[in-house]
Amino acid sequence: MVGKYLKIWWTMTRIASQIAFVSRFGAIIFILGKILRFAFFLLFLLLLISKTKVIVGYEIWQVILFFATFNLIDTVVQFFLREVYRFRSYVVSGDFDYFLIKPISPLFRSLFGGSDVLDISMLLISVGFVIMSIFKIGDISLSGVLVYLLLILNAFLIALTFHIFILVVGILTTEVDNTLWLYRDITQMGRLPIDIYKEPIRGILTFILPVGIMMTFPPKSLMGLLSIQSVMIALVVSTVLLYVSLKCWKFAISRYASASS
Amino acid sequence: MNKYLLVAKNTWYETVAYRFNFVMWRIRVVFQLLTVYFLWLAIIPENGDFLGYTKPLMLTYVLGTSLIASIALASRSYGIGDEINNGNLSNFLIKPINYFLYWFSKDMGDKAMNILFSVLELTMLFLLLHPPIFIQTNIFIIFLALISSVIALILYFLFNILLGLIGFWSPDVWAPRFIFIILLNFFAGSLFPLDILPKSVFYFLRALPFTYILYFPLKIYLGQLSQIEIYIGVFISAIWVLIIYWFVRIIWAKGIAAYTAYGR
Repeated sequence: MVGKYLKIWWTMTRIASQIAFVSRFGAIIFILGKILRFAFFLLFLLLLISKTKVIVGYEIWQVILFFATFNLIDTVVQFFLREVYRFRSYVVSGDFDYFLIKPISPLFRSLFGGSDVLDISMLLISVGFVIMSIFKIGDISLSGVLVYLLLILNAFLIALTFHIFILVVGILTTEVDNTLWLYRDITQMGRLPIDIYKEPIRGILTFILPVGIMMTFPPKSLMGLLSIQSVMIALVVSTVLLYVSLKCWKFAISRYASASS
Repeated sequence: MNKYLLVAKNTWYETVAYRFNFVMWRIRVVFQLLTVYFLWLAIIPENGDFLGYTKPLMLTYVLGTSLIASIALASRSYGIGDEINNGNLSNFLIKPINYFLYWFSKDMGDKAMNILFSVLELTMLFLLLHPPIFIQTNIFIIFLALISSVIALILYFLFNILLGLIGFWSPDVWAPRFIFIILLNFFAGSLFPLDILPKSVFYFLRALPFTYILYFPLKIYLGQLSQIEIYIGVFISAIWVLIIYWFVRIIWAKGIAAYTAYGR
Protein backbone atom coordinates (compact mmCIF):
# COMPACT_ATOMS: atom_id res chain seq x y z
CA MET A 1 0.00 0.00 0.00
CA VAL A 2 2.69 2.50 1.06
CA GLY A 3 4.89 1.28 -1.79
CA LYS A 4 2.09 1.92 -4.30
CA TYR A 5 1.60 5.48 -3.06
CA LEU A 6 5.34 6.12 -3.03
CA LYS A 7 5.50 4.96 -6.63
CA ILE A 8 2.61 7.26 -7.60
CA TRP A 9 4.26 10.19 -5.81
CA TRP A 10 7.56 9.52 -7.53
CA THR A 11 5.92 9.30 -10.97
CA MET A 12 3.95 12.52 -10.44
CA THR A 13 7.02 14.31 -9.10
CA ARG A 14 9.11 13.19 -12.07
CA ILE A 15 6.49 14.56 -14.45
CA ALA A 16 6.13 17.81 -12.46
CA SER A 17 9.93 18.23 -12.51
CA GLN A 18 10.05 17.77 -16.28
CA ILE A 19 7.36 20.44 -16.63
CA ALA A 20 9.23 22.77 -14.27
CA PHE A 21 12.36 22.51 -16.41
CA VAL A 22 10.62 22.97 -19.77
CA SER A 23 11.81 26.55 -19.42
CA ARG A 24 15.26 26.43 -17.87
CA PHE A 25 15.36 30.22 -17.79
CA GLY A 26 12.16 30.37 -15.73
CA ALA A 27 13.36 27.59 -13.40
CA ILE A 28 16.69 29.32 -12.75
CA ILE A 29 14.99 32.66 -12.11
CA PHE A 30 12.57 31.07 -9.62
CA ILE A 31 15.39 29.31 -7.77
CA LEU A 32 17.44 32.51 -7.71
CA GLY A 33 14.41 34.46 -6.45
CA LYS A 34 13.85 32.06 -3.57
CA ILE A 35 17.51 32.24 -2.57
CA LEU A 36 17.49 36.04 -2.79
CA ARG A 37 14.37 36.24 -0.62
CA PHE A 38 16.12 34.13 2.03
CA ALA A 39 19.35 36.12 1.74
CA PHE A 40 17.64 39.51 1.99
CA PHE A 41 15.75 38.63 5.15
CA LEU A 42 18.88 37.14 6.68
CA LEU A 43 20.75 40.32 5.82
CA PHE A 44 18.00 42.33 7.48
CA LEU A 45 18.25 40.20 10.64
CA LEU A 46 22.02 40.59 10.71
CA LEU A 47 21.63 44.33 10.30
CA LEU A 48 19.19 44.47 13.21
CA ILE A 49 21.24 42.34 15.54
CA SER A 50 24.47 44.13 14.71
CA LYS A 51 22.88 47.16 16.39
CA THR A 52 20.66 45.63 19.09
CA LYS A 53 22.77 42.51 19.95
CA VAL A 54 19.57 40.65 20.92
CA ILE A 55 15.96 40.40 19.70
CA VAL A 56 13.48 39.68 22.52
CA GLY A 57 16.31 38.07 24.45
CA TYR A 58 17.64 35.86 21.65
CA GLU A 59 21.17 36.24 20.32
CA ILE A 60 22.21 36.22 16.69
CA TRP A 61 22.54 32.46 16.07
CA GLN A 62 19.40 31.73 18.03
CA VAL A 63 17.46 34.16 15.82
CA ILE A 64 19.04 32.56 12.74
CA LEU A 65 17.96 29.15 14.05
CA PHE A 66 14.36 30.39 14.29
CA PHE A 67 14.52 31.78 10.77
CA ALA A 68 16.23 28.70 9.30
CA THR A 69 13.73 26.37 10.99
CA PHE A 70 10.87 28.44 9.60
CA ASN A 71 12.40 28.15 6.14
CA LEU A 72 12.98 24.43 6.52
CA ILE A 73 9.36 23.76 7.48
CA ASP A 74 7.97 26.19 4.92
CA THR A 75 10.09 24.76 2.10
CA VAL A 76 9.38 21.11 2.88
CA VAL A 77 5.66 21.89 2.99
CA GLN A 78 5.83 23.70 -0.35
CA PHE A 79 7.97 20.93 -1.83
CA PHE A 80 5.53 18.15 -0.97
CA LEU A 81 2.21 19.99 -1.18
CA ARG A 82 2.69 22.05 -4.35
CA GLU A 83 -0.27 20.29 -5.98
CA VAL A 84 -2.62 22.20 -3.67
CA TYR A 85 -1.68 25.37 -5.60
CA ARG A 86 -3.15 23.76 -8.71
CA PHE A 87 -6.26 22.40 -7.03
CA ARG A 88 -8.61 25.23 -8.00
CA SER A 89 -8.21 24.56 -11.71
CA TYR A 90 -9.11 20.89 -11.14
CA VAL A 91 -12.33 21.85 -9.36
CA VAL A 92 -13.30 24.63 -11.75
CA SER A 93 -12.62 22.55 -14.85
CA GLY A 94 -14.23 19.44 -13.40
CA ASP A 95 -10.96 17.49 -13.71
CA PHE A 96 -11.32 16.63 -10.06
CA ASP A 97 -13.79 13.95 -11.28
CA TYR A 98 -10.80 12.00 -12.59
CA PHE A 99 -9.25 11.99 -9.11
CA LEU A 100 -12.44 10.49 -7.71
CA ILE A 101 -12.78 7.61 -10.15
CA LYS A 102 -9.21 6.34 -9.82
CA PRO A 103 -8.26 3.58 -7.37
CA ILE A 104 -6.20 5.93 -5.19
CA SER A 105 -7.19 8.30 -2.43
CA PRO A 106 -8.38 11.61 -3.98
CA LEU A 107 -7.00 13.37 -0.91
CA PHE A 108 -3.54 11.91 -1.52
CA ARG A 109 -3.75 12.84 -5.20
CA SER A 110 -4.83 16.41 -4.37
CA LEU A 111 -2.10 16.91 -1.79
CA PHE A 112 0.89 15.02 -3.17
CA GLY A 113 0.30 15.05 -6.92
CA GLY A 114 3.75 16.32 -7.84
CA SER A 115 6.46 17.87 -5.66
CA ASP A 116 8.25 21.05 -6.62
CA VAL A 117 11.83 20.26 -7.50
CA LEU A 118 12.65 24.00 -7.57
CA ASP A 119 12.43 24.01 -3.76
CA ILE A 120 15.32 21.59 -3.29
CA SER A 121 17.98 24.33 -3.31
CA MET A 122 16.19 26.20 -0.51
CA LEU A 123 15.76 22.95 1.37
CA LEU A 124 19.50 22.36 1.37
CA ILE A 125 20.26 25.95 2.36
CA SER A 126 17.77 25.78 5.25
CA VAL A 127 19.20 22.50 6.54
CA GLY A 128 22.70 23.97 6.24
CA PHE A 129 21.76 27.02 8.31
CA VAL A 130 19.97 24.90 10.94
CA ILE A 131 23.08 22.73 11.38
CA MET A 132 25.36 25.76 11.43
CA SER A 133 23.17 27.47 14.05
CA ILE A 134 23.21 24.34 16.23
CA PHE A 135 27.00 24.28 16.20
CA LYS A 136 27.28 28.01 16.84
CA ILE A 137 24.78 27.99 19.72
CA GLY A 138 26.46 24.95 21.31
CA ASP A 139 25.27 23.28 24.50
CA ILE A 140 22.56 21.32 22.66
CA SER A 141 21.53 17.98 24.15
CA LEU A 142 20.65 14.83 22.19
CA SER A 143 17.18 14.85 23.72
CA GLY A 144 16.80 18.45 22.53
CA VAL A 145 17.64 17.36 18.98
CA LEU A 146 15.18 14.46 19.16
CA VAL A 147 12.34 16.65 20.44
CA TYR A 148 13.26 19.24 17.77
CA LEU A 149 12.87 16.60 15.05
CA LEU A 150 9.62 15.38 16.59
CA LEU A 151 8.23 18.92 16.64
CA ILE A 152 9.37 19.53 13.05
CA LEU A 153 7.36 16.46 12.03
CA ASN A 154 4.50 17.81 14.10
CA ALA A 155 4.75 21.12 12.22
CA PHE A 156 4.53 19.25 8.90
CA LEU A 157 1.43 17.53 10.19
CA ILE A 158 -0.19 20.84 11.17
CA ALA A 159 0.73 22.30 7.76
CA LEU A 160 -0.79 19.24 6.14
CA THR A 161 -4.06 19.77 8.00
CA PHE A 162 -4.10 23.43 6.93
CA HIS A 163 -3.69 22.30 3.33
CA ILE A 164 -6.57 19.86 3.76
CA PHE A 165 -8.70 22.76 5.03
CA ILE A 166 -7.66 24.74 1.95
CA LEU A 167 -8.79 21.86 -0.28
CA VAL A 168 -12.09 21.78 1.61
CA VAL A 169 -12.58 25.52 0.98
CA GLY A 170 -11.61 24.88 -2.65
CA ILE A 171 -14.33 22.27 -3.12
CA LEU A 172 -16.99 24.27 -1.31
CA THR A 173 -16.25 27.70 -2.81
CA THR A 174 -13.91 27.00 -5.79
CA GLU A 175 -11.52 29.51 -4.16
CA VAL A 176 -8.07 28.30 -3.23
CA ASP A 177 -5.46 30.90 -4.09
CA ASN A 178 -6.15 33.56 -1.51
CA THR A 179 -6.81 31.05 1.28
CA LEU A 180 -3.48 29.44 0.46
CA TRP A 181 -1.66 32.74 0.42
CA LEU A 182 -3.35 33.74 3.64
CA TYR A 183 -1.93 30.56 5.19
CA ARG A 184 1.49 31.51 3.82
CA ASP A 185 1.25 35.04 5.25
CA ILE A 186 0.11 33.81 8.65
CA THR A 187 2.96 31.31 8.84
CA GLN A 188 5.37 34.10 7.77
CA MET A 189 4.65 35.60 11.18
CA GLY A 190 6.73 32.68 12.49
CA ARG A 191 9.92 33.76 10.71
CA LEU A 192 10.90 35.19 14.07
CA PRO A 193 10.09 33.82 17.55
CA ILE A 194 6.47 34.60 18.36
CA ASP A 195 7.72 36.16 21.60
CA ILE A 196 8.00 39.42 19.64
CA TYR A 197 4.20 39.64 19.45
CA LYS A 198 2.21 41.07 22.31
CA GLU A 199 -0.81 39.42 23.89
CA PRO A 200 -3.45 38.60 22.74
CA ILE A 201 -1.79 38.16 19.32
CA ARG A 202 0.85 35.82 20.79
CA GLY A 203 -1.88 33.62 22.30
CA ILE A 204 -3.79 33.58 19.01
CA LEU A 205 -0.62 32.65 17.11
CA THR A 206 0.11 29.83 19.55
CA PHE A 207 -3.23 28.15 20.00
CA ILE A 208 -5.78 29.39 17.46
CA LEU A 209 -3.54 29.76 14.40
CA PRO A 210 -0.81 27.47 15.70
CA VAL A 211 2.07 29.27 13.99
CA GLY A 212 3.95 29.31 17.27
CA ILE A 213 3.59 25.55 17.68
CA MET A 214 4.74 25.05 14.09
CA MET A 215 7.63 27.48 13.87
CA THR A 216 8.71 28.61 17.35
CA PHE A 217 8.31 25.44 19.43
CA PRO A 218 10.91 23.33 17.55
CA PRO A 219 13.86 25.75 17.96
CA LYS A 220 12.83 26.47 21.54
CA SER A 221 12.88 22.75 22.32
CA LEU A 222 16.33 22.48 20.76
CA MET A 223 17.62 25.23 23.02
CA GLY A 224 15.98 23.60 26.04
CA LEU A 225 13.49 26.44 26.46
CA LEU A 226 10.29 24.41 26.04
CA SER A 227 8.49 22.55 28.79
CA ILE A 228 7.30 18.96 28.36
CA GLN A 229 3.72 20.24 28.78
CA SER A 230 4.16 22.47 25.73
CA VAL A 231 5.44 19.51 23.70
CA MET A 232 2.37 17.51 24.73
CA ILE A 233 0.06 20.40 23.83
CA ALA A 234 1.75 20.62 20.40
CA LEU A 235 1.11 16.94 19.74
CA VAL A 236 -2.49 17.16 20.91
CA VAL A 237 -3.17 20.23 18.74
CA SER A 238 -1.86 18.52 15.59
CA THR A 239 -3.84 15.34 16.31
CA VAL A 240 -7.07 17.27 16.87
CA LEU A 241 -6.46 19.35 13.73
CA LEU A 242 -5.80 16.22 11.67
CA TYR A 243 -9.00 14.61 12.92
CA VAL A 244 -11.11 17.71 12.24
CA SER A 245 -9.54 18.32 8.81
CA LEU A 246 -10.26 14.73 7.70
CA LYS A 247 -13.86 15.07 8.87
CA CYS A 248 -14.16 18.33 6.92
CA TRP A 249 -12.65 16.66 3.84
CA LYS A 250 -15.25 13.88 4.00
CA PHE A 251 -17.99 16.49 4.30
CA ALA A 252 -16.61 18.54 1.38
CA ILE A 253 -16.32 15.48 -0.86
CA SER A 254 -19.97 14.69 -0.18
CA ARG A 255 -20.85 18.22 -1.35
CA TYR A 256 -18.75 18.15 -4.53
CA ALA A 257 -21.14 18.83 -7.40
CA SER A 258 -18.83 18.23 -10.38
CA ALA A 259 -20.40 21.38 -11.83
CA SER A 260 -18.03 22.08 -14.72
CA SER A 261 -17.34 18.57 -15.94
CA MET B 1 -11.77 60.21 -21.56
CA ASN B 2 -15.12 58.77 -20.53
CA LYS B 3 -14.19 55.30 -21.77
CA TYR B 4 -11.16 55.19 -19.46
CA LEU B 5 -13.29 56.34 -16.54
CA LEU B 6 -15.66 53.51 -17.42
CA VAL B 7 -12.76 51.01 -17.42
CA ALA B 8 -11.74 52.23 -13.95
CA LYS B 9 -15.32 51.96 -12.72
CA ASN B 10 -15.65 48.46 -14.17
CA THR B 11 -12.51 47.39 -12.33
CA TRP B 12 -14.03 48.73 -9.11
CA TYR B 13 -17.19 46.69 -9.75
CA GLU B 14 -15.11 43.61 -10.63
CA THR B 15 -13.41 43.88 -7.24
CA VAL B 16 -16.78 44.12 -5.52
CA ALA B 17 -18.02 41.11 -7.52
CA TYR B 18 -15.17 38.94 -6.18
CA ARG B 19 -15.62 40.09 -2.61
CA PHE B 20 -14.27 36.95 -0.93
CA ASN B 21 -11.06 37.16 -2.91
CA PHE B 22 -10.62 40.82 -2.13
CA VAL B 23 -11.33 40.46 1.57
CA MET B 24 -8.82 37.60 1.80
CA TRP B 25 -6.27 39.77 0.03
CA ARG B 26 -6.78 42.61 2.49
CA ILE B 27 -6.55 40.22 5.47
CA ARG B 28 -3.22 39.10 4.03
CA VAL B 29 -2.06 42.72 3.84
CA VAL B 30 -2.98 43.24 7.51
CA PHE B 31 -1.02 40.12 8.57
CA GLN B 32 2.02 41.26 6.59
CA LEU B 33 1.76 44.66 8.20
CA LEU B 34 1.41 43.26 11.72
CA THR B 35 4.54 41.12 11.32
CA VAL B 36 6.71 44.13 10.54
CA TYR B 37 4.90 46.34 13.06
CA PHE B 38 5.48 44.00 16.00
CA LEU B 39 9.06 43.34 15.00
CA TRP B 40 9.90 47.02 15.20
CA LEU B 41 7.81 47.47 18.33
CA ALA B 42 9.95 44.77 19.99
CA ILE B 43 13.24 46.16 18.74
CA ILE B 44 13.06 49.87 19.51
CA PRO B 45 13.43 50.70 23.20
CA GLU B 46 10.59 52.70 24.79
CA ASN B 47 12.44 55.98 25.19
CA GLY B 48 15.36 55.32 22.89
CA ASP B 49 15.87 55.07 19.17
CA PHE B 50 17.20 52.73 16.51
CA LEU B 51 19.65 54.43 14.17
CA GLY B 52 17.83 57.74 14.50
CA TYR B 53 14.32 56.30 14.45
CA THR B 54 12.25 56.70 17.59
CA LYS B 55 9.30 54.36 18.11
CA PRO B 56 6.71 56.85 16.75
CA LEU B 57 8.81 57.55 13.64
CA MET B 58 9.45 53.89 12.86
CA LEU B 59 5.86 52.79 13.50
CA THR B 60 4.58 55.65 11.34
CA TYR B 61 6.99 54.48 8.65
CA VAL B 62 5.74 50.88 8.90
CA LEU B 63 2.05 51.81 8.89
CA GLY B 64 2.67 54.41 6.19
CA THR B 65 4.17 51.79 3.85
CA SER B 66 0.77 50.08 3.86
CA LEU B 67 -0.96 53.27 2.70
CA ILE B 68 1.68 54.18 0.11
CA ALA B 69 1.67 50.58 -1.14
CA SER B 70 -2.08 50.83 -1.74
CA ILE B 71 -1.42 53.98 -3.79
CA ALA B 72 1.70 52.88 -5.65
CA LEU B 73 1.68 49.09 -5.74
CA ALA B 74 -2.00 48.07 -6.04
CA SER B 75 -2.42 47.21 -9.69
CA ARG B 76 -3.98 45.04 -12.35
CA SER B 77 -1.39 45.68 -15.04
CA TYR B 78 0.48 42.51 -14.07
CA GLY B 79 -1.94 40.81 -16.49
CA ILE B 80 -0.36 42.34 -19.61
CA GLY B 81 2.10 39.49 -20.13
CA ASP B 82 -0.63 36.85 -20.04
CA GLU B 83 -2.74 38.90 -22.40
CA ILE B 84 0.10 39.00 -24.93
CA ASN B 85 0.78 35.29 -24.44
CA ASN B 86 -2.80 34.17 -25.00
CA GLY B 87 -3.30 36.48 -27.97
CA ASN B 88 -6.00 38.63 -26.34
CA LEU B 89 -3.89 41.67 -27.13
CA SER B 90 -5.27 41.44 -30.68
CA ASN B 91 -8.68 42.58 -29.39
CA PHE B 92 -7.16 45.86 -28.26
CA LEU B 93 -5.07 46.51 -31.34
CA ILE B 94 -8.19 46.84 -33.48
CA LYS B 95 -10.09 49.05 -31.04
CA PRO B 96 -9.90 52.85 -30.75
CA ILE B 97 -8.31 52.63 -27.34
CA ASN B 98 -4.86 53.41 -25.99
CA TYR B 99 -3.63 50.12 -24.55
CA PHE B 100 -1.48 51.73 -21.86
CA LEU B 101 -4.23 54.12 -20.77
CA TYR B 102 -6.62 51.17 -20.63
CA TRP B 103 -4.36 49.37 -18.16
CA PHE B 104 -3.63 52.56 -16.27
CA SER B 105 -7.39 53.05 -15.82
CA LYS B 106 -7.74 49.47 -14.57
CA ASP B 107 -4.93 50.14 -12.11
CA MET B 108 -6.68 53.29 -10.91
CA GLY B 109 -9.91 51.40 -10.26
CA ASP B 110 -8.00 48.81 -8.29
CA LYS B 111 -6.07 51.44 -6.37
CA ALA B 112 -9.24 53.31 -5.40
CA MET B 113 -10.63 50.19 -3.71
CA ASN B 114 -7.28 49.35 -2.07
CA ILE B 115 -6.80 52.89 -0.75
CA LEU B 116 -10.29 52.84 0.76
CA PHE B 117 -9.62 49.53 2.53
CA SER B 118 -6.13 50.55 3.56
CA VAL B 119 -7.49 53.66 5.29
CA LEU B 120 -10.16 51.56 7.03
CA GLU B 121 -7.61 48.96 8.17
CA LEU B 122 -5.17 51.56 9.43
CA THR B 123 -7.97 53.28 11.34
CA MET B 124 -8.94 49.96 12.92
CA LEU B 125 -5.34 49.13 13.81
CA PHE B 126 -4.92 52.61 15.23
CA LEU B 127 -7.98 52.14 17.45
CA LEU B 128 -6.93 48.63 18.52
CA LEU B 129 -3.20 49.05 19.03
CA HIS B 130 -2.93 52.74 19.93
CA PRO B 131 0.47 53.01 18.27
CA PRO B 132 2.53 56.08 19.06
CA ILE B 133 2.59 57.66 15.61
CA PHE B 134 3.97 60.82 14.09
CA ILE B 135 1.44 63.21 12.55
CA GLN B 136 2.83 65.58 9.94
CA THR B 137 1.20 69.00 10.27
CA ASN B 138 3.05 70.87 7.53
CA ILE B 139 0.65 70.97 4.55
CA PHE B 140 3.45 71.68 2.08
CA ILE B 141 5.38 68.56 3.17
CA ILE B 142 2.22 66.46 2.91
CA PHE B 143 1.71 67.88 -0.59
CA LEU B 144 5.29 66.95 -1.57
CA ALA B 145 4.80 63.46 -0.14
CA LEU B 146 1.67 63.12 -2.29
CA ILE B 147 3.52 64.30 -5.41
CA SER B 148 6.22 61.74 -4.69
CA SER B 149 3.55 59.03 -4.22
CA VAL B 150 2.09 59.87 -7.62
CA ILE B 151 5.56 59.53 -9.19
CA ALA B 152 5.91 56.19 -7.36
CA LEU B 153 2.57 55.09 -8.80
CA ILE B 154 3.70 55.95 -12.35
CA LEU B 155 7.10 54.29 -11.82
CA TYR B 156 5.51 51.05 -10.67
CA PHE B 157 2.98 51.11 -13.50
CA LEU B 158 5.79 51.48 -16.05
CA PHE B 159 7.74 48.64 -14.41
CA ASN B 160 4.64 46.46 -14.64
CA ILE B 161 4.26 47.21 -18.34
CA LEU B 162 7.94 46.58 -18.97
CA LEU B 163 7.73 43.18 -17.27
CA GLY B 164 4.52 42.37 -19.13
CA LEU B 165 6.13 43.12 -22.49
CA ILE B 166 8.44 40.15 -21.95
CA GLY B 167 5.35 38.23 -23.11
CA PHE B 168 6.13 39.23 -26.72
CA TRP B 169 9.20 36.99 -26.68
CA SER B 170 8.67 34.49 -23.87
CA PRO B 171 5.82 32.65 -22.14
CA ASP B 172 7.83 33.04 -18.91
CA VAL B 173 6.27 36.27 -17.69
CA TRP B 174 5.92 35.24 -14.05
CA ALA B 175 9.50 34.27 -13.28
CA PRO B 176 10.97 37.75 -13.97
CA ARG B 177 8.06 39.30 -12.07
CA PHE B 178 8.74 37.03 -9.09
CA ILE B 179 12.34 38.20 -8.85
CA PHE B 180 11.29 41.81 -9.42
CA ILE B 181 8.85 41.63 -6.48
CA ILE B 182 11.57 40.23 -4.24
CA LEU B 183 13.98 43.01 -5.24
CA LEU B 184 11.25 45.60 -4.86
CA ASN B 185 10.23 44.38 -1.39
CA PHE B 186 13.76 44.76 -0.16
CA PHE B 187 15.03 47.81 -2.03
CA ALA B 188 11.84 49.88 -1.87
CA GLY B 189 11.98 49.84 1.92
CA SER B 190 8.85 47.88 2.77
CA LEU B 191 10.58 46.06 5.62
CA PHE B 192 12.72 48.88 6.97
CA PRO B 193 13.75 52.45 6.10
CA LEU B 194 16.67 52.20 3.70
CA ASP B 195 18.82 54.76 5.51
CA ILE B 196 19.53 52.28 8.31
CA LEU B 197 21.69 50.40 5.81
CA PRO B 198 25.43 51.15 5.69
CA LYS B 199 25.98 54.58 4.12
CA SER B 200 27.74 53.32 0.98
CA VAL B 201 24.89 50.87 0.25
CA PHE B 202 22.30 53.56 0.89
CA TYR B 203 24.01 56.05 -1.45
CA PHE B 204 24.01 53.39 -4.16
CA LEU B 205 20.33 52.61 -3.58
CA ARG B 206 19.43 56.29 -3.88
CA ALA B 207 20.39 56.09 -7.54
CA LEU B 208 17.98 53.18 -8.16
CA PRO B 209 14.28 53.67 -8.91
CA PHE B 210 13.07 51.26 -6.18
CA THR B 211 13.97 53.78 -3.47
CA TYR B 212 11.38 56.21 -4.80
CA ILE B 213 8.46 53.80 -4.65
CA LEU B 214 7.96 53.49 -0.86
CA TYR B 215 10.91 54.84 1.09
CA PHE B 216 11.11 58.30 -0.43
CA PRO B 217 7.44 59.38 -0.07
CA LEU B 218 7.42 58.19 3.55
CA LYS B 219 10.69 59.87 4.34
CA ILE B 220 9.24 63.14 3.02
CA TYR B 221 6.12 62.66 5.16
CA LEU B 222 8.25 62.08 8.27
CA GLY B 223 9.90 65.44 7.66
CA GLN B 224 13.38 63.93 7.72
CA LEU B 225 14.50 65.36 4.39
CA SER B 226 15.59 68.90 3.67
CA GLN B 227 13.89 70.74 0.82
CA ILE B 228 16.93 70.34 -1.41
CA GLU B 229 17.00 66.57 -0.71
CA ILE B 230 13.32 66.39 -1.62
CA TYR B 231 13.84 68.25 -4.90
CA ILE B 232 16.83 66.08 -5.82
CA GLY B 233 14.80 62.95 -5.02
CA VAL B 234 11.83 64.13 -7.09
CA PHE B 235 14.22 64.97 -9.93
CA ILE B 236 15.91 61.51 -9.85
CA SER B 237 12.56 59.70 -9.72
CA ALA B 238 11.19 61.83 -12.58
CA ILE B 239 14.29 60.97 -14.63
CA TRP B 240 13.62 57.27 -13.94
CA VAL B 241 10.03 57.69 -15.11
CA LEU B 242 11.29 59.18 -18.38
CA ILE B 243 13.94 56.47 -18.86
CA ILE B 244 11.53 53.60 -18.21
CA TYR B 245 8.82 55.23 -20.33
CA TRP B 246 11.35 55.52 -23.18
CA PHE B 247 12.23 51.82 -22.76
CA VAL B 248 8.54 50.90 -22.73
CA ARG B 249 7.94 52.76 -26.01
CA ILE B 250 10.90 51.11 -27.74
CA ILE B 251 10.15 47.61 -26.46
CA TRP B 252 6.44 47.98 -27.26
CA ALA B 253 7.30 48.98 -30.85
CA LYS B 254 9.67 46.02 -31.22
CA GLY B 255 7.17 43.71 -29.53
CA ILE B 256 4.28 44.72 -31.77
CA ALA B 257 6.51 44.06 -34.79
CA ALA B 258 7.28 40.59 -33.43
CA TYR B 259 3.71 39.84 -32.27
CA THR B 260 2.02 36.94 -34.05
CA ALA B 261 -1.21 36.69 -32.02
CA TYR B 262 -0.14 33.18 -31.05
CA GLY B 263 -2.83 31.49 -28.99
CA ARG B 264 -5.82 32.95 -30.84
